[in-house]
Amino acid sequence: MVDAQKDAPFKSAQVESLVVMKIVKHCSSAFPTTATGSLVGMDTDGVLEITNAFPFPTLDVSAADGHQADASSLAAAAPRAKANIAYQNEMIRHLKEVNVDANNVGWYTSATMGNFINLSFIENQYHYQRENDKTVALVHDVSRSSQGALSLRAFRLSPEFMAAYKEAKFTTESLQKSKLSFHDILIEVPVIVHNSHLLTSFLHQIPAPPESSEIPLPASLDDIRREPAPLPAYPFFDTLDVSIDPFLEKTCDLLLESIEAHYSDLNNHQYYQRQLAREQFKISQWQAKRKAENAARLAAKQEPLPEDEWQRLFKLPQEPSRLEGMLNARQVEQYSKQVDSFTATVTSKLFAVRGNLLPE
Amino acid sequence: MAVEQERFVHLARPLAPTAMGYGSSAPLTVNIQPQAVFSIIDHATRRDTRDTQSTRVIGALVGTRSEDGSEVEVRSTFAIPHTENEDQVEVDVEYQKNMLALTLKASPREALLGWYTTSHELNSFSALIQNFFASPETGTFPHPAVHLTISTEPGAPIETKTYISAPVAISPDRAAESCLFIEVPHKLQFTDAERAALGTASAAAASESRAAPVVSDIEALAQALESVSDMLERVSNYVGEVLDEERDGNHALGQFLMNSLSLAPKVSPNQIEADFNNHIQDVLMVSYLANTIRTQIELAQRLATAPLAGAHAEGGAEKKDEEGGKQDGGRGGGKRGGQGRGGGRSGGGRSGGQQREPREPRENAD
Repeated sequence: MVDAQKDAPFKSAQVESLVVMKIVKHCSSAFPTTATGSLVGMDTDGVLEITNAFPFPTLDVSAADGHQADASSLAAAAPRAKANIAYQNEMIRHLKEVNVDANNVGWYTSATMGNFINLSFIENQYHYQRENDKTVALVHDVSRSSQGALSLRAFRLSPEFMAAYKEAKFTTESLQKSKLSFHDILIEVPVIVHNSHLLTSFLHQIPAPPESSEIPLPASLDDIRREPAPLPAYPFFDTLDVSIDPFLEKTCDLLLESIEAHYSDLNNHQYYQRQLAREQFKISQWQAKRKAENAARLAAKQEPLPEDEWQRLFKLPQEPSRLEGMLNARQVEQYSKQVDSFTATVTSKLFAVRGNLLPE
Repeated sequence: MAVEQERFVHLARPLAPTAMGYGSSAPLTVNIQPQAVFSIIDHATRRDTRDTQSTRVIGALVGTRSEDGSEVEVRSTFAIPHTENEDQVEVDVEYQKNMLALTLKASPREALLGWYTTSHELNSFSALIQNFFASPETGTFPHPAVHLTISTEPGAPIETKTYISAPVAISPDRAAESCLFIEVPHKLQFTDAERAALGTASAAAASESRAAPVVSDIEALAQALESVSDMLERVSNYVGEVLDEERDGNHALGQFLMNSLSLAPKVSPNQIEADFNNHIQDVLMVSYLANTIRTQIELAQRLATAPLAGAHAEGGAEKKDEEGGKQDGGRGGGKRGGQGRGGGRSGGGRSGGQQREPREPRENAD
């Protein structure tokens, strides 16, 4: 029980609507560049309340380089950049003066079709979680949210992974010992959206309720066209859209990218393997030679030469880190789950369309 | 989607001194983005009630202006600490300056637009603050400063009003604390991206606990379908009542329904069947591929780190060799996985082709 509590310093992340709106706004205005920002709040009784957020400053890349990828990588690295830590502290100090919860509880980032699992993400979250265990990374998926339901997820690094990352050892041996697999890198925390009382009453006013219970009937077709009835914000009818091709294409692209990454990772390991085999072959040759020499010296009644000198003479190559591969595997898992959930909704929609258009 | 005030008379607004010939008398419209309102409301609930008697809070509006200055968009806000009593008001100017600098650092394209407060009352303090925000040194000059009031009285509807001001005074020495507020139209504007977020917030608003989990795609679909079928039910009830002569029919509504019904496409069953099959095959194919790739990569990962039995029994240099062998084995496994994956990869390439294959005829058919 104690262990379980220690493993999970909080059970869920409760996000204020204000934070949701701010994140969505920032991420979608920066799209397709990655956007990052900081979260403030506090934790009470196992619930991490996230009550405010602010974006990190972005460097003006159009002046410098104008490459979108550069802007993205800069923004992705923003949470752990020195200048931004100062910015964050300054901002939190100012927010404290107006009674906003002045504890940093993590950071947020935007993603496209769930492609957020990479080294940068891990490093950022490690950076935060190292200082304070009760921090979380909120991921807002811009392209998935535009298809209907909001996609906002909270992640943190597992304690085992934190320990492994601290030692920066991701060799085959250490992974065998710690039994760490790519399933254990991230822990997802359920996200709950919360409103204040005042906000609740405000939300009930948009769209404004009709002034009287008897609505006058329209006199002509133009009346209806001129004032279309406002749709409620919830539930969202965008989810009924049946466009599927963009999603499939994007997913295939991303999967191919992952495969490329996996392939290059594999090549690295194979290269290392060949190097290792070559070195080891040289070592055993050297050892055989030394043995033969020693035998000859023994026969000649001379002191035998030391046999462990090879450790000085030869250097075994460093094993490449397994971390990249693990992250890639986790990323692919993420994609395939995403595809599964997409398949579930889209097949039902397609069957519904067919059922309605085809006469029985 | 925009929530707009119903009707509004645009009057030419009185201007700040137009010596530089900048100002135009074009009407000014204020677009407010929801997160600005959300943060004002958040600020209102975090009001400090201990050491200040003031019932309102103030803060600055930040956002963008259209090129001719006739439209402003309030994108974000920040709170400013202030104290207020019967005869004086104190605004933390230093704080405002620092916070503005911090905010603009994160979003360099935005600018100070004006200020907000959480009561509808306009008094001489309001004028004082308004003149501060409209002044050339610290404010928005030559553009007019926007003043947004939003009522946060419990039990009353939340209303928003926007004003700009003109300098008016009975005598020059009272100019600082007087101005003429003129109401300008405003609307609450949602972009598509915010709709989903607002939907989730509304879902939370609809529940008793004021909280709602972020739902998965399929749940959202179920909710949407339920609500659509409710609406259809209502419409068909209405039509039924009209047919049964319980209610008077309405020509406009009838016409509208007829038009809507005629939107149903006329396509041959064969065509639908073919399209349906193409699409569903695409979807299932990608889903299948994604899962295959996942399995392959997971397998490769497992094989790469799988311990070989008996690897720990030996010692010394032999252990090294053994380990090398073991790693070779592991790598061999990886390699095998690699080849398999290589296959998967070419399969991926092929599948890309395959997807495109059924797609192209369909597009032609379209």
